[in-house]
Amino acid sequence: MRRLPVPILAYFAVMAALPLFMGASGLFYDAFQAIFVFSLVGLGLNVVTGFTGLLNLGMAAFMAIGAYTFAILTSDIYPFQIGFWWGILATIAVGAVAGFLLGAPTLGLSGDYLAIVTMGFGEITLDVLKNLEAVTKGTQGINPLPRPTFGSWTLELQQERGWYWLLLGFVLLAVLAVRRLERSRSGRAWLSIREDALASQCMGIPPKRTKMIAFATGSALAALGGALFAALLSSTGEPASYDFQVSILALCIVIVGGMGSVAGTLVGAVVMVGMNSLVLVKLADWAGAAGVGNASNVLASPNNWKYLIFGLALILVVRLKPDGLLPPRLEGGAS
Amino acid sequence: MSLLEVRGITMRFGGLTAVDDVSFNVNQGQIFAVIGPNGAGKTTLFNAITGVYEPTEGSVRFRGSPVRLEPDARLGLRAAIVAIFAGLSAFLAINIQELWTVGIAANYVLDQPFPWGKAAGDALDAARAVPFAWGVLPAILGAGVGAGTVVALWQRSRRTPDLIARAGLARTFQNIRLFTDLSLVENVLVGMDSRMRSGFWTNLLRLPAFSRERTWTEREALELLAFVGLAERAHEAAGSLPYGHRRRLEIARALASKPAVLLLDEPAAGMNPSEVVELMELIRRVRDRGVTVILIEHHMKLVMGISDRIVVLQYGKLIGQGTPAEIRADRRCIEAYLGTEGEG
Repeated sequence: MRRLPVPILAYFAVMAALPLFMGASGLFYDAFQAIFVFSLVGLGLNVVTGFTGLLNLGMAAFMAIGAYTFAILTSDIYPFQIGFWWGILATIAVGAVAGFLLGAPTLGLSGDYLAIVTMGFGEITLDVLKNLEAVTKGTQGINPLPRPTFGSWTLELQQERGWYWLLLGFVLLAVLAVRRLERSRSGRAWLSIREDALASQCMGIPPKRTKMIAFATGSALAALGGALFAALLSSTGEPASYDFQVSILALCIVIVGGMGSVAGTLVGAVVMVGMNSLVLVKLADWAGAAGVGNASNVLASPNNWKYLIFGLALILVVRLKPDGLLPPRLEGGAS
Repeated sequence: MSLLEVRGITMRFGGLTAVDDVSFNVNQGQIFAVIGPNGAGKTTLFNAITGVYEPTEGSVRFRGSPVRLEPDARLGLRAAIVAIFAGLSAFLAINIQELWTVGIAANYVLDQPFPWGKAAGDALDAARAVPFAWGVLPAILGAGVGAGTVVALWQRSRRTPDLIARAGLARTFQNIRLFTDLSLVENVLVGMDSRMRSGFWTNLLRLPAFSRERTWTEREALELLAFVGLAERAHEAAGSLPYGHRRRLEIARALASKPAVLLLDEPAAGMNPSEVVELMELIRRVRDRGVTVILIEHHMKLVMGISDRIVVLQYGKLIGQGTPAEIRADRRCIEAYLGTEGEG
């Protein structure tokens, strides 16, 4: 097997070692667990939008489908209780099928129209989850969810380091899978559609089938992210945790990291989610403690600066690095 | 029997007739040229042959029969689409919450074994209580809509460019369309797709078939790049190539599918005289590999130098065909085209 490029290897080396230096800070683990979940969703979106060039604004819906599938199949409020690992496998399969079902009638649409359909799908999914109360428990969400077991040993919720490494492991598997696909016949077909759809079709690549496979792969990864997110909280949370903002965050991760770049997506997730749930939170805390700003004024409140700085940083990245922080060709290894 | 028969192709866009009742035959092993002034409909004709456009009238026969998907192909997939439509409609019509409550929620007690048989029975009873028409009629309706969709998709998908390319007609484009962010080898490998067999799971799990296929396809891609003289840049991005080389890469990519016919749309456009000579040489070598070449070209020296047969289009109509010598002697063709040549 050809080796992973240096940026990806470095990422996993640093990430694997990081908890050893971090002690037991709750904020740190919360942030990084979210980063890894969104890395999975970002990797999925990178397949759809980065590789294949299909704008998908409904990634959160696939996360939600993953979280609820996992919850219904594993929670002890329902009779299925197939356990953590089978639940994860089933979730990946259901996510892929959901991607196929959405893709089958819509992938003939191009560009903006597909974006609108996926956005609508996201909203419909939320409404269904909210209103199908007998099954999804409405706004309460489904809980509790089982913890992963390794033989006779169970990973408990408060063992944050264990969760950290478990999620990192899933990210590593996803990276390997996506890289393998990218550098094969399947991935080349995706890239050729992004580069020039007509030329690709004239070279004998069936556009619809190729796009469907990309869509299903991306959805499966997002569903996996959603299931792990739910497992981490031991609850699906309320349906509103999978709203349009989440889809946009996933898109920001891919754009900031570099469209079509696996390493870029990983970096994008660290930057976007890390900034949101670590740097800006700290900053707001610090400002509040130091007595800077005025909490009663909307514009002067440190808590609201968070969003201001977030937006500013996003604009700066897009302005200064329009191809993202790690564009695909810098990733190393052309073929 | 000719390799490719174009029969009465007409292409109308609204009130404009771009190609008007054009017929000709191309024989195996020929270099066949389509010439005519700008706007004569040459590229439109190419697009109709390669499936980019569906001809308004007329047909294209390749090896004696039309290129199209046979009705028995992918029957399973179409059945699945019909079933999904039917299932979804029934699903929407029946009250799922009710079934779930009666079947699962009512029978489940925490830490007690779940009575699967009873649950299924209860759910079935609840489903029976739903009026027959509520469940079955939507399913039939859904199946009808699904079947309609399948037929509509089927009609549209019978002569798409990918099917025609897989049948053995490869092409290049007037305004070069490479995959610019991919390397030269990757461009050629995309062209080779129709000859590859490895599927999604083979690629994901890196089964032995994957490495075997990678070995021979990469070797062949490099050979093709060597054939067009680009071997030493094999791993550069296609977007970094100078203009003249891009044409060559496009030809290599088109040849990668081992086509029977190669359609070249103005391959010499924008080339300097020495590049044109090299291109003529390359086209001859392509023909010598057993590939029939059809080209659109304005460059008269090239056309007259290498073509076995030429057709002349003007305002979408075919106004003459024959050997280069015959075309040179044909008054109408000279007036339409050769006489006004000058921009090269």
